Amino acid sequence: MSRPQAHLVTAVRRAAVVAPSLTRGLWVTVLLAVLGTTGQVVVPVAIQQLLDVEVLAGTGDVQRIATIGGLALLAVVASVLATRAAMFRLLRAAAEGLAELRVATFAHVHRLSTLHLQSERRGSLVARVTSDIEVITQFVEWGGIGMLVGSAQLALVLVVMTVYDPLLAGLIALAGLLYALLLLAFQRVLRRLYDQVRERSAAALSALSEAISGLKTIRAYGAEARTLPRVDQALEGHRRAEIRAQLVGASMFSSAELFAGSLTAMVIAVGVLLQPGQLTAGRLIALLFLVTLFIEPIQLLVEVLNEAQTAAAGIRRVLGVLDAPVEVVDPVPGRQLPPGPLAVSLHDVWFAYPRDAASSTRGDPVLREVDLELPPGTRVAVVGETGSGKSTFVKLLTRLFDPTRGTIELSGVPLDQVAFASLRSRVISVPQEGFLFDASVADNIRYGAPGASDDEVAQACRELELDAWIAELPAGIHTQVGERGARLSAGERQLVALVRAWIARPDLLVLDEATSAVDPALEVRLRRAIERLTTGRTAITVAHRLSTAEAADEVLVFARGRVVERGRHADLVARGGVYSRLHADWAAGASGGRAGGDSRPVEDGRD
Amino acid sequence: MALSTDPVLTATTSPWQVVRLGTRLVVRLVRGAPWRFVLAVLGALLFTGAIVASAWVVGAATDDLIIPVLGAGQSVAGRLVPVVSLLLGVALWKAAGIVLRRGSATALQVTAQTDLRRELVRRLFGTSLRAYERHGVGDLLSTADVDTRQATFVLAPLPFAVGVMGLLVAAITVITATDPLLGTAALGLLLVVVAIDLRGAWLTFEGMEEAQRRRGRVAGVAHESFDGALTVTSLGREAQERDRFQAAAEHLRDQLIGVGRIWTGYRAVTEGLPSAGTIVILVLGSLRVVDGAISPGELVRVAYLLSLLVVPVRMIGYLFWDTSQSVAAWRRVARVLEEQDPVTHGRVLPAGSVAPAGITASEVTFSYDRDVPVLSDLELSITPGSTVAVVGPTGSGKSSLAVLLARLWDPDTGALHLDGRDLRSLAPGVLSTEVAYVAQDTFLFDDSVLGNVALGAPVDEAAVRDALRLANAEVFVEALPGGLDTPLGERGATLSGGQRQRLALARALVRRPRLLVLDDATSAVDPSVEARILRGLKRATRPSTVVVVAARRATILLADRIVFLEDGRVRAAGTHEELLASVEGYARLLEAYEQDAADRAEQQRRHRDQAQQRPHRDRPEGRRYPDDGSGAQGDRAETP
Repeated sequence: MSRPQAHLVTAVRRAAVVAPSLTRGLWVTVLLAVLGTTGQVVVPVAIQQLLDVEVLAGTGDVQRIATIGGLALLAVVASVLATRAAMFRLLRAAAEGLAELRVATFAHVHRLSTLHLQSERRGSLVARVTSDIEVITQFVEWGGIGMLVGSAQLALVLVVMTVYDPLLAGLIALAGLLYALLLLAFQRVLRRLYDQVRERSAAALSALSEAISGLKTIRAYGAEARTLPRVDQALEGHRRAEIRAQLVGASMFSSAELFAGSLTAMVIAVGVLLQPGQLTAGRLIALLFLVTLFIEPIQLLVEVLNEAQTAAAGIRRVLGVLDAPVEVVDPVPGRQLPPGPLAVSLHDVWFAYPRDAASSTRGDPVLREVDLELPPGTRVAVVGETGSGKSTFVKLLTRLFDPTRGTIELSGVPLDQVAFASLRSRVISVPQEGFLFDASVADNIRYGAPGASDDEVAQACRELELDAWIAELPAGIHTQVGERGARLSAGERQLVALVRAWIARPDLLVLDEATSAVDPALEVRLRRAIERLTTGRTAITVAHRLSTAEAADEVLVFARGRVVERGRHADLVARGGVYSRLHADWAAGASGGRAGGDSRPVEDGRD
Repeated sequence: MALSTDPVLTATTSPWQVVRLGTRLVVRLVRGAPWRFVLAVLGALLFTGAIVASAWVVGAATDDLIIPVLGAGQSVAGRLVPVVSLLLGVALWKAAGIVLRRGSATALQVTAQTDLRRELVRRLFGTSLRAYERHGVGDLLSTADVDTRQATFVLAPLPFAVGVMGLLVAAITVITATDPLLGTAALGLLLVVVAIDLRGAWLTFEGMEEAQRRRGRVAGVAHESFDGALTVTSLGREAQERDRFQAAAEHLRDQLIGVGRIWTGYRAVTEGLPSAGTIVILVLGSLRVVDGAISPGELVRVAYLLSLLVVPVRMIGYLFWDTSQSVAAWRRVARVLEEQDPVTHGRVLPAGSVAPAGITASEVTFSYDRDVPVLSDLELSITPGSTVAVVGPTGSGKSSLAVLLARLWDPDTGALHLDGRDLRSLAPGVLSTEVAYVAQDTFLFDDSVLGNVALGAPVDEAAVRDALRLANAEVFVEALPGGLDTPLGERGATLSGGQRQRLALARALVRRPRLLVLDDATSAVDPSVEARILRGLKRATRPSTVVVVAARRATILLADRIVFLEDGRVRAAGTHEELLASVEGYARLLEAYEQDAADRAEQQRRHRDQAQQRPHRDRPEGRRYPDDGSGAQGDRAETP
């Protein structure tokens, strides 16, 4: 019985360190709650007083009856005020504390490189700051108040019972304890049933969401006949599990009535048979009323204890995020990067991704002993097949995560010693999926340079020769892009991301297939603009189309995590290695391969 | 995360409307299984009857047992046994009522929810994509999940509330019969409690709706910010994001505290009021006992009854709360269920041919949004067995044409004919046996590779393997732990974009369609692999007309004919050479790369010239080349 509670207490105590509002003034709240529950026992006490003192004694003193009534009313009003204050204080503490916890967790998540390492975990991280916090909020709102008021009521009722008759009070307490144990056992069964409900409910939802999100595919392939039975089956499974669990729940709930009935019968029987010394008729009747006040909190407390496990699990998950060590740390004191274009050097760099979300062990290395010196102002193209490690390579350069082995230096400063403020303003990368926020084009561009005026934004667009494109947008740079930029095409989103990077005026620009979705004709123009603009800056481009590589000062060819070739385009083609093969394939796709679809493409490149 | 941010119920509705709409909703939901509802109400009445009975027993025990024995010192004699058995009997009676009510009400609610979900999916399957897109996938998902559940919330407390109404009438009757004065006081008390409770429920509900919207905002910011984490980190904007999230979280916090202020106030009052009322009635009753108008047992009965009423009476407030939520949710469900934009079908049966199909489009105009035409007056004729590439700049309507050919959408005006049959005249299910469409984004189901490729089509494993081979997917599928039977998990998260596209392609090919529509369906496939697939398709022996929306030159060059779109019209059609010679826009698009490549060559030549004049300053000495022998082997792991 104490275990889930203990978990909850430890979890809350730890959460309170992060979010002090959670427990601030808790003792005052508890005191008020105890005061508040007196309202509940006023009625039985008043009955006892009225019956024993006035009615049965036969005095019939109207004055005294009115006095008892008046005092009782006063007690009720006081208890209403105290209850109200206690409940509100608790709710406010929860709202404030959980807001603090939410923000702290959110801020911490952004410091975790996990976000970039395991994008599939993003959904669960969102859950940490939304649904997990909601679970805790709901628990505090319902369970916290229940626990507070319930235990206060239980204690008070027992005290009053003991005053009336210690023997009966002891018997009732004993019965209550047995009943609580019975309920706990019952709850375990119920919990299993509800686990099943949750499982089936999740299955039903995933079947539903598959049918809805996959609607176009289902329609295109006439797969309705396959899908509907699956949906129906999942829904039916959930329906059955839910009904079964609720029936058991109803039986458990109804046991309270059986218990109340038996307890009432027992109190009357013991009372009239044993007639303990001080027991009057009024006191016995008051005890009957107290019994009804005794059962509800037991039931409530057992339910709360049960739910406490869920809430404690929620808090633990949130704390788990807060406990996750920040791997990529802003160094203190950080060093500034020297002004001007940046040189890049890698020495024996290895990298492996974590095997899975739970463990800290790493999988097979995706980068192996990479050694590179790139002088300042070089324009580098990075090529390689999918999975060759080229994307990981550029992510390491912007320190989205640190290498598992080896060192990276920018103009002689080790990357992990560079202050974030300096690094993030001088080294800018543009990923393949340029993420846009639900705001205007201008605001999204400004994200790269907060405070930039509309003119500066327009200027940046002009420099990239994108003014014609901007002019075609419905509201120019003030066009709203919609959620995740949904109102723009994938190519247009990339354009915005590119301007956003450019307006930050980086000294090392990293483009990771940043224009892969852009219209071919536009891409050519864009690439020339980028080349013109990055003159005198270092630029590293993961090339989607090998025409980029043709123009680079240097081409790095990645294969299986290593740099297997490097040099100028023409030299590499002439060498007849990996690059020449890649290039031949690409060339066949980009401009040749007509002459009869059946012939093999020219394997040894074109020149 | 699609938390509905619909117009709040309270902004447009009065409490009376909630009652009216709620009644209509209940009738709609109960229609399916009225007997369940009747059983639940019966259970509730059974329970409330037992409450009155228990008060009667306690009252009787007071007069006949407790006072005579404890007050007057009489012997217990045979008086105890009837009291105890009556108390136990009534307890059993109550318990039976609870099980019957809760069991039936739950079954009623869960079944209604299941039915709504089934109905929703069926309605969506029969509705046009225009309606589907209008609702938005996110909102539809949240409607199917949250709204169908909330819309049935009203069914859980309703039977009990009906029972409570019965209880109120019974209790007032019993108390009035005991003593008219006490009856009037009790009636007044209960009415006040119910009124205050309802008022509190309405005000709290209003506040919670607002809180819900703010909660949606918090979730929205979190989602956006974490999804855009790469951008946030790369540009070092963590602090800005934190401030944004904090503002949303505090906005929610303030609302929760505001609602809490109202809620706790009403809750404390509705909890205290019955006690206060009971005390007033006790005082009045005591005076009546002293007057000799009623017995002590009768006073105990009245007080006991009132104390048992406190919790059930609050049920009316809960009912109101749940009804408000249900009505709001139902509006969102009804918007989908009452969608009046169905996909219509004719009765024309399959052609019975396996030969490639011809398709024509005449006078087709089309728009997603009525104001922005995407295709206008489009004329097109594709001969059976040909491979046609649809080419055009971004926004020219290529993809729209593809979805019209597969009849995912219908044109606004004009018609498309498959072998002379209007697509809309085909009987349900016919089109998908003759036409296969592959989109750029691949949707994979939570099923095995085999299940995903077959997707309900009556094909055997060998056919699936053939299709996979043709789609260049066989090698990586073989390498999966369970081969064809490997479960892909939700949305095939473990596969790369190119692998997913190849599975989608196999899914189309396994059906041996007469018309295959590829909408940039190999965009994520490595160029070298794409070239292999396209050559394979070209060589394939299966007869089918192929329409391919192409963004790569190689794809275009494989086609027999090119349709060049510009601004939603067919600007030109013909062979590659013809178009190259005659259409400037086409030439511009296609030549972009070649032009660029030529420029490079020119630049490099100039570079070389310059290099001969001065040494390369940006080429340091002593650069180390890693040993490329070890890395190069098996480099193209996907090459068979």
